[in-house]
Order: sequence, then structure tokens, then C-alpha cells
Amino acid sequence: MEGKEENASEAAPLKLLGSWASSYTHRVQLALRLKGLEFEYAEEDLANKSDELLRLNPVYKKVPVLVHGGRALPESVIILQYLDDAWPERRPLLPADAFDRALARFWCHFADDKLGPAVGAVFTSTGEEQEAAVRQVHENLALVEAELREGAFKGRRFFGGDEVGLLDVVLGCGSYWLAVFEEVTGVRLVDADAFPLFHAWLRDFEALDEVRETIPAVDRLLEYARGVRHMLLGLAGAGGAGGAGADAPSSTAADAPTASPPPAAATATAADIAVDI
Amino acid sequence: MAEKGVKVFGMWASPMAIRVEWALRLKGVDYEYIDEDLANKSDALLRYNPVTKKVPVLVHDGKPIAESTVIVEYVDEAWKDGYPIMPADPYERAQARFWARFAEDKCNAALYPVFTTTGDTQSEVVREAQRCLKTLETALEGKKFFGGDAVGYLDLVVGWYAHWLPVVEEASGATVVTDEELPLLKAWFDRFLAIDVVRATLPDRDRLLALNKARREQLLAA
Repeated sequence: MEGKEENASEAAPLKLLGSWASSYTHRVQLALRLKGLEFEYAEEDLANKSDELLRLNPVYKKVPVLVHGGRALPESVIILQYLDDAWPERRPLLPADAFDRALARFWCHFADDKLGPAVGAVFTSTGEEQEAAVRQVHENLALVEAELREGAFKGRRFFGGDEVGLLDVVLGCGSYWLAVFEEVTGVRLVDADAFPLFHAWLRDFEALDEVRETIPAVDRLLEYARGVRHMLLGLAGAGGAGGAGADAPSSTAADAPTASPPPAAATATAADIAVDI
Repeated sequence: MAEKGVKVFGMWASPMAIRVEWALRLKGVDYEYIDEDLANKSDALLRYNPVTKKVPVLVHDGKPIAESTVIVEYVDEAWKDGYPIMPADPYERAQARFWARFAEDKCNAALYPVFTTTGDTQSEVVREAQRCLKTLETALEGKKFFGGDAVGYLDLVVGWYAHWLPVVEEASGATVVTDEELPLLKAWFDRFLAIDVVRATLPDRDRLLALNKARREQLLAA
């Protein structure tokens, strides 16, 4: 498609429906910023989803949803690839080489199918279950570390090369939860000694201007995570559960946000936070 | 010595592996097919895919790629002058990827219990599976194939239903895809199975049925 039609499509307004604590939303915000694309942002209350969201994403009813020229695009990794397809001349997120693109896509699957759920499981469990989840996270991080050390991403500052790319956005927006979960649950997830390259990459990623603009302040994330975990443990009736890393509810009571969400909403947000990485 | 050529590590009954074969055949690409015994995976497979250790894996001039949907997109890009698999329009590409993900995440999960249950529970899960497939079916409305007039990415990703689901239905004593419940999908099954490259690669039906029957017996006995 050439000429006027394409320019009109590129110029059509962008609107993003998202949630401030959703790492999937952050992926899209970051990608839009990296590409220098203006967009309108609408914050969704996940406990009380808008008619607009339900209409735009009837299949999953989730954020983020990007609206471009009146058409809705859900699913963060799909949105990111759409941004590359629709604005190929603006700072591509995917590399040019077909094999490198396949690698990036493979590891995005890994991030969302393996690493993300494992990290979520650490957050939502206690005791032995949590220990197993932590081992899973470490196994997954070890695979990424190996790829950075001697595999496909050897010698690179970012997964995308000298600059951040699709995989950086996908892995990075969510990896900040690792430090938050460590703080809230008391378990060690990203040891700088065990995963030096991953650790260094994350530090470099989080130092970028566009990333700092996108990721909420850590104390907001901490407060939010503490509240959700407190609610989860309360719901599970696991108060004071034993095992390493279990977070005794009473010690977090003072830290829980004053406007605690009702249980149903907490489960909704817990589900979003739990599968978020 | 640089490795040349295309290899596919698969398994004769794997729907994920067959997608890769269909993609390569649409592009007219010659490949060597290696059939894996999943209970006894080859050193080569484990070397090419140490991360998930699964089939399919495509090896192109010595470089391995895993994850069937990723491989299909790769095939489209690596042989970009051949048959167009992905839609050209960015929004349609997003739609195709969306429905592929939906089918893989939701429909497959909804279908599996049909295979592992009996009686009233099975009737319940059949209805659930039909609901899921009805949602997928909306992507077919007004079209011959998911890809439009010709097969495309989404047809390749969900195409396995056309051959496998009737077998699973027979093995499980259930019917999911009927003319009443899923007319568009049923009609698409016939059109898809008539495609040359599809017909040329389907696993033997009897063998597939025997495998599924045995597996179901095993699961129900457990």
C-alpha cells in the first residue's frame, strides 16, 4: 500500500487502554515511546471494566488494547509487532534478519509461557509450593543467562543488540516485578552472582529514559504488590503459613494500602499481577 | 563444514510439526524430515532445542528454530518470494496472530478435556469446546479460508483440527464439530483437506485413531 492511504492510516489517532500496574500495558507504552508515536492513554479499573474495553476486547476483556483508526488490537506482543508492521520506518523493534526475528519471537514465547507464569507462581504461593516455583524461575533465568553468555545473544548489551528491541521490551517490562516480589515475599529471585549478565542487562534497561518514563515508581509497585499478596494469603486462609519466604500477613497489615480492594476485585487484580511478569 | 539445507524434527502424530511441513511445502522448499520418538529424544533434537526440548524444530543451514508458530512466520520471511503465508496488511496480520494465539491457548485447552472425560462431564466440556470454536469461527465469516481466498497463516495453525478432530471425536465417543453447531468450520474442514500440500502430508488416519484410542484408555484408567 503506497501513498495517501498509507499516510492517512499512519496519521490516524492512537489510543491505549491500560492499567498502571500492568506490565503488559507498559510494554505497549514503552514501544510507543521508543517509536516516537503520540497516543491517548485511558486508565482502566480492572475491578470495574469499562464498556469500551469490553466492546473492544470481547474475547479476553483484558488490557492492554490499542485502538488505531477505530480498530482494536489486543495482546501486547501482537500489538508490538503491529507497531513494527504499521510504522516500519520508525525505529524497528524487530531485527531485519529473518533468523534473528525468529529468535526474538521464540524468546518472547518463553517469557510469557514459561518465565512469567513461574514468577507469578512465586508470588501467589507459600511454603513448598513456592520453593518449587522459585526453582522453576531459576531454571528459566539460567536458560536466558546461558543465551547471553554463550548463545544467540552473546556479547550484546541488549537482546536487540546495541539498542533495545522487541525482546527487551517484553522481558524488561515485567522483570521489575522480580525485585518487588523479592521484597514482598522474602525470596531471592535474581541473584547478581548467579545471573550476572541478566542482572546487568536489567540494570541497563531500567536506566533508559523511555523506560523510566514508563515504569511506575518502585514504592507504588511495592505497596500494590504487598496489598495483593496480603489479600491472596488472607483469601487462602494461609495466615502465618510456614516455609521459607512465606510472608506473614500481620507484618504487612501496616503496609497494605488504606483503600484495600474488595476480595473479588483483589482476585481479579491478583490474577493480572500473578501472570504478569 | 557449513551445514546446508532444511531439516524438520517432528513426530508423525504432532499437529505442531505438520504446520511446519505445510508451510515448507507451500513454499516449494525441499526438506529432510526426522521423525522423533518423544519417549527417547535424539541427541540432535536436544542439541538443537535445549530450551524446550520439543518438536518441531526447523534447522535451516545449521541454524535451529523452535516453536511452530514462530517457525511458520520464519518460513514465510526466509522464502519471501514464495507463496504468501502471512497477510500483507498490518491489521490483518495482527488478527491472524490473535486468532492463532486464541486457538492455541483457549481452544486446544477446551478440546483436551473432551478426550479425557466421559458421560455428563464430557457433554459439559463438549459444549465448552464448541463455544470456544464458535468464537474462532467468527474469523471465517464471509471467507473461503481464514486467509481469505487462499490458505494463510491461521489456516496452517488451526488446520490440524480438520484431520485430527474427527479422529479425536471417534476415539472419545463425542461429536464437537457438527453442521448445526459449527457450520462454517465444518465446511472449511473439507476445503482445507482438499488442498494439495495438506493431502500430501496427513498422518495415516487409522494409525492416528489407534494411537488416540490407546492414549484415552490409558488416561481413563489412571
